[in-house]
Amino acid sequence: MIDGKVIELSGVQQRFHARGAVGGYLTAVQDATFTLAADPPQVVSLVGQSGSGKSTIARNVLGLQKPTAGTVRYGGKDIFKLNRAEYDEYRRNVQPVFQDPYAIFNPFYRVDRVLWKAVKKFGLASGRSQGLALIEESLRAVKLEPENVLGRYPHQLSGGQRQRIMLARIHLLRPAFVIADEPVSMLDAQIRKVFLDILLDFQRDHGMTTLFITHDLSTVYYLGGQVMVINKGVIVERGPVTSVMHTPSHPYTRLLLDSIPQPDPDARWTTRINVDDEESLPPTDGKEEATPII
Amino acid sequence: MSEETVLEVSGLEVTYSTNRGDVRAVEHLDLSVRRGEILGIAGESGSGKSTLAVALLRLLKPPGRVTAGSAIFHPKGRSPVDLLKVHGEELRVLRWSALSYLPQGSMSSLNPVMRVGEQFKDVILEHAPERKGTLSELIPRLLAQVGLEPRVARMYPHELSGGMKQRVLMAICVALEPDLVIADEPTTALDVTIQRVILQSLADLRHDFGVTLMVISHDMGVHAQLVDRVAVMYEGRLVEVGDVRQVFKNPQHEYTQQLIESIPRLGRRAS
Repeated sequence: MIDGKVIELSGVQQRFHARGAVGGYLTAVQDATFTLAADPPQVVSLVGQSGSGKSTIARNVLGLQKPTAGTVRYGGKDIFKLNRAEYDEYRRNVQPVFQDPYAIFNPFYRVDRVLWKAVKKFGLASGRSQGLALIEESLRAVKLEPENVLGRYPHQLSGGQRQRIMLARIHLLRPAFVIADEPVSMLDAQIRKVFLDILLDFQRDHGMTTLFITHDLSTVYYLGGQVMVINKGVIVERGPVTSVMHTPSHPYTRLLLDSIPQPDPDARWTTRINVDDEESLPPTDGKEEATPII
Repeated sequence: MSEETVLEVSGLEVTYSTNRGDVRAVEHLDLSVRRGEILGIAGESGSGKSTLAVALLRLLKPPGRVTAGSAIFHPKGRSPVDLLKVHGEELRVLRWSALSYLPQGSMSSLNPVMRVGEQFKDVILEHAPERKGTLSELIPRLLAQVGLEPRVARMYPHELSGGMKQRVLMAICVALEPDLVIADEPTTALDVTIQRVILQSLADLRHDFGVTLMVISHDMGVHAQLVDRVAVMYEGRLVEVGDVRQVFKNPQHEYTQQLIESIPRLGRRAS
């Protein structure tokens, strides 16, 4: 299923109407062009500060938001022009993990539901016992004990457990691509590492390619692979993590690396930075991008 | 920095009652905060740093309770009070005007259906009604202190970015020139550049207006960049307090050494 699968973005531009901005709109993404290939499986990180447009790109790739210009192609076809069968195939192969482990579950249903929905919708099992076996296998793959989570309501699980349920769902579906939008920003350091290790396992054992969106440079460093740095909707630098982090070529990447507080009181910042220019524009917070006014 | 003490905590003990018996979250803690300093409280998750903050702010809720100790607070122009004993109206008048709280930026601390300026008014009129006449001049000045334009007062919280919201909160915190601001993880959940701006603004507030700050953070980088003295907590106890340079360069306690050694570092610092 994964051979030759490619997601190609070319010249993607996304504008939102915004009160008070110059010209009455805000350009969240400007000319994003990149290719995600399933073969060989890889991790590509997209890093940038709040409001840089990284979550908008995730929404474009997932087909949740139609770009105002440019195309997102999957297997050579525009994802907004797929027929039903092709779209189902796309949805199965491109799976999301979102930021907020609290908002993603319906509090009235047991967590089993998100897993059973995947089993039923995609016809993964022919009967209940087979389905349950698959679910249990997937839960174990994400280091969860099925007896501790099945039958529970979302509020009975921790944020880390809920986020791993979403990973179990991905394990069930074995998509070619995982689009992870800030999946670890609400988890603490220990759980964060568990989560990242599972993603790396998926890459190695199941050949999944991950687009990992984050503002946290240490997470990018831990994951390795390729990285793209985005600033104000423009991808300013891309390359292998080690070379971008060690020898950044773009001033913005250098600023980003330099802004990590050094744990050394003798190495305090001597210069000041100012982000007012971009902050003076209306909604620039990642969360606001999720509810664009078109 | 003067040697005058703003807050003197002694023998503080906070206990949470659980099904499996009592859990001591803060154990026999002695700490003093000097006027005009930035004091950092460091420690891992569960070390009791946030419990310390909520206990001092009197926001501790059952099953948590203060089981021992005192926290003598010396507000300017008022008689000293024990923060752990004041009640009702006495506590209410201290809040904002003498003791204020800067919450974590990601939390929804601003009212989403009120303009920013209204939220300033709310706090100021509630705690210092005599300043009503100066509001139109005061609010832009407070916003300017944290590097925001006066027009921000007319905006709603959803129109602001995470960093701007955090700076609005900072401005509200210092609106009535409190003797002490307790900041609980003020930069957690913000990205690195915004974090740097917030740390810059906190340092400016102290430098320009002499605000006394207690900054709680698990990020040792934040302490290294901002604070004058750092107090390290571990399992509810204070294991070390000292000048930031001494704590980082010559940690006395074994746990502090481990904490500093465990800081992840990227391959190289960009210059």
